Amino acid sequence: MENEKLNNEDLSPVRVRYKILRPALIAAIAISVLIFFLYLVPFFQTLTLSGTTKTINSFTLKKDPAYRRQINLLKRDIQLLSSRYGRYTSGQAYLVINTTDNLFYLYRNRKLVREGHCSTGSFKLLKTEEGRSWIFKTPKGKFTILGKTTNPSWKKPDWAFIEEGLPVPSADHHSRFEYGVLGEYALSLGDGYLIHGTIYKRFLGMPVTHGCVRMNDEDLEAVFYTLNIGSKVYIF
Amino acid sequence: MTIPDVPISDRKRYIPVFAGAFLLYYMIMMLISPVRTINSLDREYGFRQNEKNIINDSIVTDSTYLSLYRERAFLQARIDMAASDSLCLSLNLPDSSANLDIVGVTVNSTKISGMKVSKILKDRQSYAITSMLSKPLTIENAFSSIPREPLMIKMAPRDTSEYKPDIIPDTADYEPVNFILELKEGIVIYFYQDERLNPFDGLRCFFFDLGYRFVRTWRDLKNVVILKVPEYNPYIKIRLPREDAKILYRALPEKGQVALLR
Repeated sequence: MENEKLNNEDLSPVRVRYKILRPALIAAIAISVLIFFLYLVPFFQTLTLSGTTKTINSFTLKKDPAYRRQINLLKRDIQLLSSRYGRYTSGQAYLVINTTDNLFYLYRNRKLVREGHCSTGSFKLLKTEEGRSWIFKTPKGKFTILGKTTNPSWKKPDWAFIEEGLPVPSADHHSRFEYGVLGEYALSLGDGYLIHGTIYKRFLGMPVTHGCVRMNDEDLEAVFYTLNIGSKVYIF
Repeated sequence: MTIPDVPISDRKRYIPVFAGAFLLYYMIMMLISPVRTINSLDREYGFRQNEKNIINDSIVTDSTYLSLYRERAFLQARIDMAASDSLCLSLNLPDSSANLDIVGVTVNSTKISGMKVSKILKDRQSYAITSMLSKPLTIENAFSSIPREPLMIKMAPRDTSEYKPDIIPDTADYEPVNFILELKEGIVIYFYQDERLNPFDGLRCFFFDLGYRFVRTWRDLKNVVILKVPEYNPYIKIRLPREDAKILYRALPEKGQVALLR
């Protein structure tokens, strides 16, 4: 009898409506609280900030010799700083490499003289079961051409063998040397990083190298003959 | 209609009161924070009369002086960055340009498609803010929708039979580019991809932004709970082409530097 009464109470329309509305109400409150914290408070914060500082153009101030001295001091500083900043961009030839889009830009006398596709590091992390690892990425920053070579040969490092599942030979083993795979020219950036040619021309414009910068034959030739030892290479 | 007699314990009855009081307290603390930020900036970078500034402080309300002062501050910051020998970002808001510099050489220049700047930074006449910007700003944290280095892990084959040549990278792989740089000086710079190349780009941008709002709010809540006024962060929201956004994010080092001209 009592159970029946309870069941009847459970099924009363007000109870049913309440049961349906309760989760909706809780959800509405939760969303309102989130909106309050995430959007309303930051919005009200901006309202507390006063308007812009008022500026003046007072003639009395402008006639003040101390004011004029300050303005001249600032103008002179700006001139000095501008010319100092301008000196950072060399009039010599330099190369810019964009590793995100795999593009290069060659400059001479502060003018762009050639641009095109290149290939840079693949961002592959090679790991061995023994715990050795290599990241194949092109370093970023400012570099200097440290050396120039024609008809370079490639001395394969350990990872070149490990990557293909081959046993690693001794340091000067003949299997380490490959000829003709780096194109006709190579420019050294130090730490084993080179700008060189490639036999995989279809991959130009893609991140596929082990850290070196690959170019096609014509571009490489132009870069080789435009840049000198000591020229700057900017990689980003 | 009768209201159902729902039993409410005494404790539950106080929950809304406490919640309301907390919200009010949180709101007050949050509203105090921008004012405190301005005051602390004025204290640290405000005008001081010295040998160099021989004139009184009325000069800091002069538009000619402030305009030159801003220009000098930007140049000074860029020169300081050039000494750092790493990739840096120069944001020139009046010119709508974002440049990537290495040792003073601009290697990439981007046109900003749209921007929104918080009131504090918009106040171009503020001497204190300009003084702060005469030194490079340092990136403290970065949040991004793309990885800085898209690493692919490959286990070395045990022998030649296990060796598989590398797959050509999928250049069609698409990920919208949005990122946020939190600077040590308290400024937050949002970079959003301008193009809507995919129907869900807008939604993904919204969720990226929402995620960051959660991070910020959580940080503020923690401060408020320990009775500390949260830090107010002036912001710059920038829209720029996807490719350029990607270049900027991937090129900048983790603790990179930023020069800003308002």
